[in-house]
Amino acid sequence: MIIPVRCFTCGKVVADKYEEFNRRVQHGEDPAEVLDDLGLKRYCCRRMLLSHIDIIDSFMAFATVEPTEGS
Amino acid sequence: MEVRIVHKTENEVHFLVEGINAAFANALRRTMLTRLPTMVIDEVLILENTSVMYDEVLAHRLGLVPLVTDLTSYNLPDECDCEGKGCSLCQCTLTLEVEAGDEERVVYSRDLNSQNPKIVPAADNIPLVKLAPHQCLIIEAYARLGTGRENAKFQPVATVAYKNVPIVSVDKSKCDMCGACIDVCPKRILWNDGGTLATQNTLDCSLCEICVKSCEVGAITIDYKKDTFLFKVESTGALPPVEIVERAAEILKERIQIALDFANSL
Ligand code: SF4
Ligand SMILES: [Zn+2]
Ligand SMILES: [Zn+2]
Repeated sequence: MIIPVRCFTCGKVVADKYEEFNRRVQHGEDPAEVLDDLGLKRYCCRRMLLSHIDIIDSFMAFATVEPTEGS
Repeated sequence: MEVRIVHKTENEVHFLVEGINAAFANALRRTMLTRLPTMVIDEVLILENTSVMYDEVLAHRLGLVPLVTDLTSYNLPDECDCEGKGCSLCQCTLTLEVEAGDEERVVYSRDLNSQNPKIVPAADNIPLVKLAPHQCLIIEAYARLGTGRENAKFQPVATVAYKNVPIVSVDKSKCDMCGACIDVCPKRILWNDGGTLATQNTLDCSLCEICVKSCEVGAITIDYKKDTFLFKVESTGALPPVEIVERAAEILKERIQIALDFANSL
């Protein structure tokens, strides 16, 4: 849905690096170099960013602003 | 026992310990992982959440945000005078109140308002949730101390690993400078120093022995020092890495003393 806060395997915080990673890769930088730069050295942390697909935007297409009451 | 720091940054420390065995190295490692308390959000009161994310998921994400911990001014809940009910000596309240305007808005960890200015998220840019226009969040979260033994979110370290210190030796009389090992070493330990095979940064060697297999004349041997360990401690930001090691060593000492006292009383 949204980038996981931490790496599933080692527990390093990865969420705060996702936006920068995305922005730089979209500007044509090599993902491997960006990951090195962000300090994600282990492959467990690298796959967190590489394999993530943000789908919260698709959910937000159906968003409401009223709290849903249980019926 | 001798300790030497080889590399230190804000969130990471690498050090060598000489004169210990693997059992002790692992005891120290596991103490850092599971016995050292840190402050983390443990209870969340959701007053309003109209975002697309379920309350439970949001609470879980809040729990994973590392908070800068001040170990001197808070008690562990079971050691507190309030007997774990929760008071200002063992609990810190953080609030999160965000309403998106006419635009989408990402809620970050820095939007958390803490009652104690010392207890703040260690990383400011963690996206917690994204709000569609006019959606809103009102949350009260209670942080407390806990240890990694209880839940991995309390661990002050992301990774703490150790390995034996590698010894890469080249038998110059056998080496015919074919260069095969230079090409295969994934850590670039071996290099051609003007016609002779030299080694560099041997601490990085992963003991994979690919170089040994590639060497047809058997000129390379990989060994390791049995009593010297290289530790790599990486903090989540809750505590400075050096403090993690120091405090873990103290806790380990206390625990060994308890075991010894018990053994002596038998
Ligand atoms: S053991 Fe592996 S890492 Fe170490 S020098 Fe040989 S090839 Fe390189
Ligand atoms: Zn990882
Ligand atoms: Zn208390």
